[in-house]
Amino acid sequence: MTSGLTSRNGVRNENYLNLKAVTLEPRPFPRADGPDKVTGTGRYAADMVLPGMAFARFKYAEISHARIVRLDTSKAESLPGVVAVITATDVPDVRYSPGVADRTLFATDAVRFEGEILAAVAATTEALAQAAVDAIEVEYEQLPTVTDVVQAIAPGAPLVHPDWQNYEVSAETEQRPNVASFSSIAHGDAEAGMARAATVVTSRYVADASHASPIEPRAILAQWEGRKLTVWSATQVPFDARAGVCETLDLPTNQVRIIVPHLGGGFGGKCGFHFEAHIAALARAAGRPVKLVFSRKEEFLAPDRRREGMVVELTTGLNADGTIAARTGTLLIDNGAYTADAAFFPQLAAMLAAGPYRIPALKIEASLVYTNHQPSGSVRAPTAPQACWAIESHTDELAATVGMAPVEFRRLNGLRSGDVGPVGQTYGEIGLQACIDSVASRLTGETGTEADEAIGLAVGWWPSFPGPSGAYIKIDSDGAGQIITGAQECGTGAVMTLRQLAADELGMAAEDFELVYQDTGVAPYDTGATGSQTLFNNGRAVLLAASELADQIRQLAADHLEAAPSDIVLSDGHASVAGSPNPAVSVAELAATAAGAELLIAHGSGKPGEYPETVGASCVGDQGVAAWASPQFSCHGVRVRLDSETGVVRVLNVATCHDSGTILNPLGALGQVEGGVLMGIGQALTEGTQYDEDGCQRNPGLLEYKLQTAADAPTITTQFVETTGGQGPHGAKGLAEAPNVATAAAISNALAKLIGSHVTQLPMTPERVWATMTDATPSDADRDATGHDTSEPKSGDEL
Amino acid sequence: MTERPNPLLIANTIDEALDAVSRGSTPIAGGTDLVVGARQGNKRLPASLVAIDRVEELQSIGLDSDGSLSIGSGVTHATLMSSTVVVTNYTALADAAALIGSPATRNVGTIGGNVMNGSPAMDTGAPLAVFDAMIQLSTVAGNRQITTSELWVAPGQTSAEPDELCTAIIIAPQPDRSGSAYVRLEYRRSMEIAVVGAAAVVTLGLDGTIAGCRIALTAVAPTIVLVDGLESLIGQAIGEATLATVADLASSQAAPISDLRASEQYRSHSVGVMAKRAVLAAARRATGESISVPVNRSIGVGSDGQRQWEAGAS
Repeated sequence: MTSGLTSRNGVRNENYLNLKAVTLEPRPFPRADGPDKVTGTGRYAADMVLPGMAFARFKYAEISHARIVRLDTSKAESLPGVVAVITATDVPDVRYSPGVADRTLFATDAVRFEGEILAAVAATTEALAQAAVDAIEVEYEQLPTVTDVVQAIAPGAPLVHPDWQNYEVSAETEQRPNVASFSSIAHGDAEAGMARAATVVTSRYVADASHASPIEPRAILAQWEGRKLTVWSATQVPFDARAGVCETLDLPTNQVRIIVPHLGGGFGGKCGFHFEAHIAALARAAGRPVKLVFSRKEEFLAPDRRREGMVVELTTGLNADGTIAARTGTLLIDNGAYTADAAFFPQLAAMLAAGPYRIPALKIEASLVYTNHQPSGSVRAPTAPQACWAIESHTDELAATVGMAPVEFRRLNGLRSGDVGPVGQTYGEIGLQACIDSVASRLTGETGTEADEAIGLAVGWWPSFPGPSGAYIKIDSDGAGQIITGAQECGTGAVMTLRQLAADELGMAAEDFELVYQDTGVAPYDTGATGSQTLFNNGRAVLLAASELADQIRQLAADHLEAAPSDIVLSDGHASVAGSPNPAVSVAELAATAAGAELLIAHGSGKPGEYPETVGASCVGDQGVAAWASPQFSCHGVRVRLDSETGVVRVLNVATCHDSGTILNPLGALGQVEGGVLMGIGQALTEGTQYDEDGCQRNPGLLEYKLQTAADAPTITTQFVETTGGQGPHGAKGLAEAPNVATAAAISNALAKLIGSHVTQLPMTPERVWATMTDATPSDADRDATGHDTSEPKSGDEL
Repeated sequence: MTERPNPLLIANTIDEALDAVSRGSTPIAGGTDLVVGARQGNKRLPASLVAIDRVEELQSIGLDSDGSLSIGSGVTHATLMSSTVVVTNYTALADAAALIGSPATRNVGTIGGNVMNGSPAMDTGAPLAVFDAMIQLSTVAGNRQITTSELWVAPGQTSAEPDELCTAIIIAPQPDRSGSAYVRLEYRRSMEIAVVGAAAVVTLGLDGTIAGCRIALTAVAPTIVLVDGLESLIGQAIGEATLATVADLASSQAAPISDLRASEQYRSHSVGVMAKRAVLAAARRATGESISVPVNRSIGVGSDGQRQWEAGAS
């Protein structure tokens, strides 16, 4: 079956060392949720209505750091139409969050960021609920705010969590003052390597925080029926949301059901457990269903899923031949006030700072630093776009130092099949070099770069995340199939592709299957739309279920056709004996037979792929994500145009190439890459959260937080390298996050050619570009210190 | 507290609209400022509204007997940007209308709304200022016409009386051999608000030198401002030196603030660049060259076609 899929997508080159990227021919992809979403008949969480439901609003801190002296809800409670007001005293005293349990549902003694929730109100209308929120009285004693990651770890800095040492943390988590978790990756002797190096280059890059910005602000509706709770929620991770509700409200999993109607995107922003328990507790107190719908501003301020700001300092020693001798690095990651799911970020960021390069001696230290900002959390490829932007900008500085073309420097130092990575992991067949070749040939193949244009490229990498996952498949009496899966669709098409996987296995059409999904009450567990894992893990489950169902159908057909089950082939919705297409019996006919006897039902889960071991490297604070399962590789190249008088940059063309193993759905894969590129352009040029001195967001809205629009989209061409060894179905790796790694870095490198030095703060806004150009003169001492050669500007059309 | 929807009156004629306004209703047409502002929590919707989007008398573009262009206050940005007379003779206004928001915004947003909202970042403001447009304000008692500088007094504040409704914008014919353009600094290509902007109208003499030039600046002062001291350009040829003078005059007369979108220094610098480009594009149009609307898309870094500003300057 694997060969069938890969031959459909493109001819696979079997030569281990001579992989070639190919442009896959998309085959038609009927999306089960397409008509609903396009015609408007689809229902989202905000559309849900229940009889008698009340409306929720939250009372937010609106101050970054303060001790709560007095919280008085009595006036709010007495207002007409108010059916419930709850605070920390109305819910179990539970401190939660994976890795570092530092969060409570409602603020207790202090507030640590502006979006912290003090109280929740339910009233008969939204306006009445808001009026009640406005009537809640809070008296604060202001505390010193921590808003800068460098100052936060300085001796004597005020502590965001004075009790941090008493928090429950996972055994692997390394805590320090104002540091929620710390990781280092080290192998070889970096200091000795640096001392022997012919040249040493140091760089410092700073990335601002940014946001997931899904099109749908979140909405939640909770209803109690006796002891049973049903929550309709715009979440990417219904089982995670259920776990959060159960933990914080002290309920068993079988009394809590989370249903996700159509989800209007997430990009990680709707991963994790958020407000389901607040609304459930409110509904219980109100004695009626309660619904919460966020405004866009709340979507910016309240969730603990902001993309983390970062300060990256890198030093790399080079040998005279341009090979890397050693690298050290320090990364400070802005955790915000609570840790959410970010405890593993330092280790991920450290791997990204090492980069997909051959480095004999390495020491990277990364800290997740508490501040009084909104908490950070998994946004599409957490830490990667910023860390890749820093390391790949640094890499172009390295290439310039030794007088090598950036593409040659990467060919020389980039990982190859069979190489050993930063933590001693030996890679099998990997497509990094093929990705570089593919992008370089397409970018440089274009004719004539104008004086105000330049090309640049960057490489990226990202893991896949093996995990448990389950699905059922049944075929009813009329031959119609249902896939009942725990997987969550967040727009990527991953769940939609499950139909094709099952159909191919059963010799049926994708349209023969309906999906039952996004409901913890009916489907087995899945991690959710997170970590690029849906097809990677749930695809395995669906394939196994389909395979089991195929066995059941073959058995029925064998009886019908008087042949051995092993001789039955399934094709075009029919079963026949191998080699003789007639007689054949339809699956529908066999299903009708089964409906009166043993039913056609199958289930699948399967053992998750294993994580490789760490060998010969030390990983302090090891969260298990240093050695990467099914690592994905990518290269992005861009052509940019610079308005040198204003610093406005426009991305004209993007060429990408990805090694994500076998591509199961070419059309869906192209969509993922193109969307990731556009998101990357936003991160590169326009998307950045600005804070005031007190740590409050200055641009929590779509007018001043500037996403890219369709009108800004460049031409994007994409190729894939189909390597072997992916642990997903048919050799697939993850894909959804990998396209959101290297774009900003490629833009940075193209831009640096035009202005003579890199812009060292992300996003590289027009004003920052202009300021860099205004500063960038060959005599500038800072530039000389980085070793950057500004006296000989490189031609814009060479890589 | 009781909830009641804001009363919404619907006017079908100017008289009905003026009557409602005289009784304290706030006019609403596209709602792209009022409704969006209310939803963002910036400013509550007024207690009483009168919808004027169905008043056909406000939706026409025509030439008065003296050749002046009369634009009804209810004309949408989409209509403005594609109106032959506007694109041909008052091109800067079409440039500006074409840049506003998105197609949805342009289809419902009106020039009257833009003008009366009084934002210093309004795109149609600088073109109207350089054309010396007159704003017609009407009450049940009659009409008066005032200049844009008389109308705009502060950010979001006009000199119009509460019972006055903007019913038309009137622009006198431009001299022969005139061209105009509006250029803005933008960080993305749609759903954008001017970081800074500049409009210029340039009239060329028979010898091709500058016979007249007016420039207005967007988002660098509490209101749209006209640039002073342009007399020195009269008799000069369009060239690097002239354009450098334009940039210097614009930058030095800008009094911007630092905010989320840009710092004071960057605004002062870039408004000079915008002014220079507006003058260059206006001058090229004055020679009869066709530069399609909006200039931001046909010349410059975001363009799909010719982009070298300097090409026209040589």
